[in-house]
Amino acid sequence: MSYRIPMGPYHPALEEPYKLNLICEGERVRDTELRIGFNFRGIEYLAERRNFVQVIALMERVCGICSNVHTLSVCQALERLAGIEPAPRALYIRVIVAELERLHSHVLWAGIAGKVMGFKTMFMTCFLLREKVMEALEIISGNRVNYAMNRVGGVNRDIDNPDSVLAVVDFLEREVNRVIIPVFASNRTLLERCAGVGVLTQEQAKAYGVVGPVARASGVPEDIRRAAPYAAYSEMKFEVPVETSGDVRARLLVRALETLQSCCILRQALKNLPAGDWWGPTEEVEVPEGTGISRVEGPRGEVLYSVTADGENDTPRRVKVRTPTYANMPSIRLMMRGARLADAPLIQASIDPCYSCTDR
Amino acid sequence: MSDISAILTELGLAEAWEQRNGSQWIAPKSLDIRRMASALLARGARFITITAMQLPEDGATRLDYHWDMDGELLTFTTKTAEKVLPSIYDLCPAADWIEREIHEYFAVEFQGREYEPLLVREGEPVGVLVPEEDA
Repeated sequence: MSYRIPMGPYHPALEEPYKLNLICEGERVRDTELRIGFNFRGIEYLAERRNFVQVIALMERVCGICSNVHTLSVCQALERLAGIEPAPRALYIRVIVAELERLHSHVLWAGIAGKVMGFKTMFMTCFLLREKVMEALEIISGNRVNYAMNRVGGVNRDIDNPDSVLAVVDFLEREVNRVIIPVFASNRTLLERCAGVGVLTQEQAKAYGVVGPVARASGVPEDIRRAAPYAAYSEMKFEVPVETSGDVRARLLVRALETLQSCCILRQALKNLPAGDWWGPTEEVEVPEGTGISRVEGPRGEVLYSVTADGENDTPRRVKVRTPTYANMPSIRLMMRGARLADAPLIQASIDPCYSCTDR
Repeated sequence: MSDISAILTELGLAEAWEQRNGSQWIAPKSLDIRRMASALLARGARFITITAMQLPEDGATRLDYHWDMDGELLTFTTKTAEKVLPSIYDLCPAADWIEREIHEYFAVEFQGREYEPLLVREGEPVGVLVPEEDA
């Protein structure tokens, strides 16, 4: 006999609302229904009522943790539409902030994953590291979240002391190698908790179009930084970690290894920061009629923005946002099938979901 | 790029192809959406999403189907005045949520599928992004 367990919208593992209806037989989950929309703010609708400068500030509010990828995406879409190419220094600064944001997101998520597994020491350790990343972002932007770094054609702030950020990168790389990687790669308790749990096969990952670390943990080597480089990524040397087991452990490990790659990219970008202009056009940018599209590899995966202008008004006709969690969340249903009920919070947390992004 | 050329030739859409503003755009006069989806999936393309917008000049709804093929962004564009299009959800499970969202935002009917509420609550009217004078 099957029975239904409603989980949410106030979630036991994460602080944002969404709802799972778990259809169980005994201790096993047979099927799952997902309900989203509790954070629906109508941001795409609001964007059609803001001018092109205000839209950048609005889109920074789509997500609290990966706010920079949204302003970067919308600025790139507008730059493509207006035919503007930012200066090399601005492109490097964009890479630096994007990678710091990835570090922030991945380290935060590692802590949350530790907490969900009852590993409180890991939670505390990761949040200590996260503080260091936020300090670096504060050095650059003056803000711990919502960095307001991107503008059409450039960035809003220069990095005048790259060495101060490099010191943070050195510290983070050392600590990730010392603490996080050994735990996620070989800790016996953690492996027993995560290995073989919430499996998403490569075939399923492709069919559901999942992106980012979730896809890469299922053997799909997609990374927009490599496949369709933007900003200064074509000048960076880095690897794209891929695992094939598709379980919670693989998702943990891919993100942990990605933090090291982010440190590698940051070191290159900070050491080779080109001299010159970073601000971009000083006149108001004319946005012609048409649609500009931009993709960015956010911490959770590919973000797509499509911005349409009519060439007459200073407000966009349409701004479409496709966030990574929107692509990843439907696959939870597959990961849950046959899982133990007790693993449900960990499985859904393993995609690093962002519900405010998803609902917009 | 040769893969894209081959697929567009197979679909008879090579004439409607141009590169601009960050994407390969394919905007034919008429688009067989299910044939497009089948051909792209058979060649390993990844479905990304659909952008929908209501056009102010004639009230029709424009839909841009975004796909990734080896890092190239392909955008197939079509228009519907009647707000009715075939669903590709059965071919491509990744299209499930976005078809439901466009149904709720723009009242577009995707034929051949059922809907559950996604962003609006059960029983609420659809077409929340359709301008009031057109609703």
